[in-house]
Order: sequence, then C-alpha cells, then structure tokens
Amino acid sequence: MFGSKIKIDPDLLKKIKMYAKIAGYSSPEEFITHALEKEIAQLEEADSEEEIKKKLQGLGYIS
Amino acid sequence: MRTLRALVMGCLVLVAAPVEADPAKKVFVLGVDGLDPDLIQSYMEQGLLPNIKKMVDKGHFKPLQTSMPPLSPVAWSTFITGMDPGGHGVFDFIHRDPATLFPTRAESGVRPGENVSVGECKQFPLPWPLADEGGPENLRQGRAFWQILEEHDIPTTVYRMPANFPPVESPGKSLSGMGTPDIRGTPGTFSFYTDRFIPDASSFTGGEVYPVRVEEGHVRSTSKSKQVKLYGPQKPFLDLSTAECRKKNELECKESREPECGKLLEVPFDVYVDADRPAAMFYVQDTEFVLQQGEWSDWVPIDFEVLPVLGSVSAIGRFYLKQVRPDFELYVTPLQINPDNPGAMQISTPESWSHELCEELGYFYTQELAEDTKALTHGVLNGHEFWDQTQFVFDEQKRAFEHMLQGFDEGLLFYYFSSIDQNSHMLWNYMDPEHPGFLEDRQLQRGIESLYRDLDALVGRALEAVGKDTTFVIMSDHGFCPFYWQVNLNSWLVEKGYVTLLDPAKQGQTILFGNVDWSRTKAYAVGLNGLYVNLRGRERRGIVNQGREHEELLAQLERDLLEMVDPRNEQQVVTLVVNSRRDLHGPLAGSGPDLIVGYNWGYRSSWKSPLGEFPKQVFEDNTQPWSGDHSVDHRHVPGVLISNRPITLEQPALYDLTVAILDEYGVPKPEEMIGEDCLGD
Repeated sequence: MFGSKIKIDPDLLKKIKMYAKIAGYSSPEEFITHALEKEIAQLEEADSEEEIKKKLQGLGYIS
Repeated sequence: MRTLRALVMGCLVLVAAPVEADPAKKVFVLGVDGLDPDLIQSYMEQGLLPNIKKMVDKGHFKPLQTSMPPLSPVAWSTFITGMDPGGHGVFDFIHRDPATLFPTRAESGVRPGENVSVGECKQFPLPWPLADEGGPENLRQGRAFWQILEEHDIPTTVYRMPANFPPVESPGKSLSGMGTPDIRGTPGTFSFYTDRFIPDASSFTGGEVYPVRVEEGHVRSTSKSKQVKLYGPQKPFLDLSTAECRKKNELECKESREPECGKLLEVPFDVYVDADRPAAMFYVQDTEFVLQQGEWSDWVPIDFEVLPVLGSVSAIGRFYLKQVRPDFELYVTPLQINPDNPGAMQISTPESWSHELCEELGYFYTQELAEDTKALTHGVLNGHEFWDQTQFVFDEQKRAFEHMLQGFDEGLLFYYFSSIDQNSHMLWNYMDPEHPGFLEDRQLQRGIESLYRDLDALVGRALEAVGKDTTFVIMSDHGFCPFYWQVNLNSWLVEKGYVTLLDPAKQGQTILFGNVDWSRTKAYAVGLNGLYVNLRGRERRGIVNQGREHEELLAQLERDLLEMVDPRNEQQVVTLVVNSRRDLHGPLAGSGPDLIVGYNWGYRSSWKSPLGEFPKQVFEDNTQPWSGDHSVDHRHVPGVLISNRPITLEQPALYDLTVAILDEYGVPKPEEMIGEDCLGD
C-alpha cells in the first residue's frame, strides 16, 4: 500500500491493529490512510502561513 | 428534570430582590488607554495639568491595579466583565489553536461560512437559511457591565470600548473599538505606492508596497494591466481552501504580476503628476482631488463591487502625497469599514448608530487602533508625519467627545481615547536618553507631554459639562514603561531544553514553529506573555501527561523563569509568573496559556517570539521606533483611577471599578464578578 516504508513505534502499531479491527477497518493500512487523510484535510483547511501572518502582524506589538 | 429546573429558576426569580436603579443618575467614565500614574504625577507637579490637578485635589487619585498580563484586550475585558481572564477567556492579544498550533487573534475571530465548490477553484457562499453564513465573532465571554445596566433600564452610551467587536447585543448605543478590523480583515494594512526600490518591502508587516512607474505624468502599476489599484476584502467567489487552488492562484499571479495575486477585490484609481509643480491630481471612482506634496486628503469613499448590481463593500481611506520627485511616494491609510454603510460588518448597536454618528460628525476612523504605528516602524511615514497622522485621529476623537458630552443627559457614558497609548509606544525613545533607540527631536521629545496636556484640557471641558452630581471617573487599562530589551522566550526554551528543534542549524529561519520537533518538545511560547505546555490530549502532538507530570513541569518552568538573568547586565528578567489554573478565577482558567510570564521593567517579549520564531540570541536590544510598552509584570505598569468620588479601597483594581459602576445605580454585584465596590458616596 505505501510507496515507501514508514517506521512506526511497536506499541503504537499494536494499538493501530487493535483499533482498526474495533472500528471496522479492513486493514491497519486503511485505518492509517484514513487518519492521515483527515489530518491533511485539517491542515489544508487552515489558513495559509501567509494569511495567518497578515491577519496578526498588523498588530503593532509583533513583527 | 426539566420541570424541576424550571421550578428552581422560578423560585430564584421570586427570591431575587428587585433593584430600583435611577436612570437620572449620571456616570461618566473617561477611558484613556495607557494613561500612566507616574507621568500624571510628574506632569501635575510641573503644573502642566491644572484641570486634572483640580479634580485630584477635590477628589481622589490612585494607581489602578491592572490585569495579568497588562495587555489592552485583557485589561479592558477585565473592566468590561468584572472578571479576570479565567472568567472572560481573553489571555493575550494572541492565542493558539491547539489543533494546529497556529496563532489566532484572542478577542475576536471570524466564524467561517459554508461555501459550495463549483469547480476550477471557484466557490459560492451558501446563504442563510441553507447554512450559517459565518462572519466576525466576539470571543470575549461574560456579560458586559452596560448590558447589566440596560437590564435595569439604565440608558448607556459606550464609545469605542476595546475588546468589543462585534459589539455585544445591547439596547443601548455602542461603537466597537480595538478588535475592529480594517476592510481587509486585518488589524490595519496601509498601502504605499512608489517608484523607489525598497529592498525590505516584502518583509513589511501591517502594510504593502506597490511598485509603480510615472509614465508621462501618469502613475502606472508595474503589473501587466498597468492599473494602480486599491485593495479590499478577499474575493468571495475565489476558492483558496485547498493547497491546489492556492498553487493555481500563485501561478496566475506570477503571469499577471498583479499585486495581491488577484485574490482581493480591487478598485482602480488614477493619479497624474503635475509637470511643473510638486502636486498630483487624483481620480478615485467619483471623487476627484488635488494634493500638494506633503498634503493629506480628507476621507475618500471607496466601493468594492462584489457582484454587479447585487452589492458592494463600502470603505473609506485617506491619501497622503508624501513626495512627487525625485521618487513618487503615495501613502494610503488602511481602508476603513465605512461607518456610514458598514454592511455585514456590524460596528455599532443599534446598527444604525454608526451611520447617525457619520451624519453628525462626518467620516471617521473605525479601525481598531487608527494611529499607523506600522508606517512609522517601516519608515513609510517619518516621526513628524506619524505625529500629524495621530493628531488627525486625536482631533476626530475630540470632536466625537464634544458631541457625546453635549448629548449626555442621563445614564452612563463611556468614552475612549487611544492617542496616549499609541504615542507612548512610538515616541518613548524621543523622551528617554537611556533608550537604545534614543532619537533627538525638539518637537517629538515633548509629544507625550503634549498629549497629556491636551487630555487635561478635555478633562476641564468635561468638568464644566457634566456637573458635580455626576460621578466622573478617569481610568486607564495600564500604564507604561520603556521597552529597552527583547526576550526571545522561545529561544530561551530551546536553550533550557524545553524545545527541541528538528534542525538546530536552521534556528531562526522559520516562523510559526516550522522547525520544532514536537515529539521532543515540552513547552512553547505564543503571544506576548503566554507559555503553553505541549500537553497530551490537548495539543495535537502533546507529549506531557496530564496530572502530576504536567504540574511538575509547570513548577520547574516557573522556577527557571524566575531565575532567568540577562548576562549582559546581570538583571533578573522575569519578576512574576502566573499559573493560570492556580492564580486565576473562573471556568476558563485552564483554557489559556498554562503560565503567564511577567517581565521585569524594561524587558518585553521579542518581536519574533510571539508568532513562534526562534532567533539565535535570547536577549537583544530594542532599537525599533516602538519603544515604550507595558507587556510586563503588571505590578510595574498600573493604570490610573481618578474620581470626584472617594476611592475606598487601598489598592483598587480594574474589576473593582466594574462593581463600583454597577453600585452607582444600586445594581448588586453579579456572582461571577470578583471585585468589590471601590467608590464611596
């Protein structure tokens, strides 16, 4: 599934396997893909760095 | 269960004693941002403030304990609600979103609306009732004291109260102040049009430089379209919510060389330079005017069309022709929400009040802090030009002050002045030879003193107008001290091992925590005084366990902060650390920074640290024009309390004054307020 190998802490992998099963994912890979997609979507929805800067840096207190 | 609760509430209503408040009773609160008790005392002793001295001699004057941190949004929120940040939830100018760790504005925000993507990076906003349309949001919690007074039928007028945007619902009259954005949704973005090359223009904050050329007297943009433009809010139909669309927009932008990448609504305007004289002719929509070099225009209305026929966003701006030759230099103020027609951006209650004020007073600045400190910081305006701009703001505020005094027949009047605060920030280095950024200038070294004298004249006018039966209070949110030395708190956290960087060689090269290894970072600083623990279950990549580990880390951080010493002068850098959950009151005490850092007199958080930067040095001199400040240990910068009524508490605080104002009308202190009445009869 993954193009390159990603190292995951063994304890975390154990949890991923357990919760993937409980949550009804077909495999731990599917669970990981879903979690990462959600995370990326959240980051993409956030304002860009440039917009954040523009909104805040007009404050005299910061540059 | 519901029935039981209704019964209990009913009983409470029956038991509560009715309050007979007297609307004929008048209370006038003159709120002066940044008014400093030591400067008042010193100028009074020099005989420069005869009216304030008269009031002090007959009445009372004490330092007013401010909030921790002593920052305007925090302090004014404390005064407004009678609670500390644990109650009203405003802990700084800047908070952070624990989900993304990106900084956000503390006291007001924008609730996102829902848009339907129609493909090709275009969107259509879903109107009500299909979806909540989104819009600006006042993030301060708790009831404002004027809302409570209105519940008791006391008429209230609240002019430019900070930390009140959008203004909270009230049947009284109120106009929003600090927290109110400009038309772009920023705290203020000036525009500077010039054919001079400005090497650091891309690093300007709070302003944009637009390159132009003068071609046969016509000022033209260097973009493909050649049109010189004013820029407004973001185009509502442009979908920039995904990385792909942002990338596509950037490519289009490179192609057209259009400033602002075509993302913002635009209004083209024309400027023709006179061939012989240092003057220029301006055509801005329906307005035509001539400016001589060094001259300011009056307010110019500007309408940004959103959709043909359907609607526009209305703004106002002022033009300053700084220079015609050899370099063309034109400054335009941040474009203001037009008070005559604020549209969806409600800035007053009732909504029509800003329009009525505009009818009576003409156009006026609506942006949160109108004094353009950023233009001075970047050298777009020099010290004298900045002074002229701030005098224009002050004159507007004085006109409105007179108007309010004349209409003040009953109830409560609150009136706010910003000029002393903003000029104390920017002119401190002219009056303090010890300052690392000291500048000699005979006029500007007396700038702050001159504003205190102007205020004294206004107090004299108010004393005549309000009469002795009116309770008259002059108060400020905090005082001032010099800003000599910057502290890069995030860099100190690296030095002490609380933050681990992904690539230490790249320290100082990224913003917004771009180089932080969150899997090995225990604490981080955001805002001017906030310090947060990277807490598991709260922060997105938290590693510190809640409970004992969290508490022990806070105790260790507090000890280390109080032991921080500036090796250059052996001075203690931090004199107070507030543990929010331990020291603040109210249900929100745990929702802000874990620790609030109180710097020693002369120190302040650096320019870079508040937005997650890590400069290599922990301590640096401050040589910026922004040379006075107050974001320190609150005990170093108390505010002012002057009243024609006795001050009954030994050490009155902002939240005591809130209770006192209610008490003037016999309104009992609500349960959530933490202060005591501080004014006698």
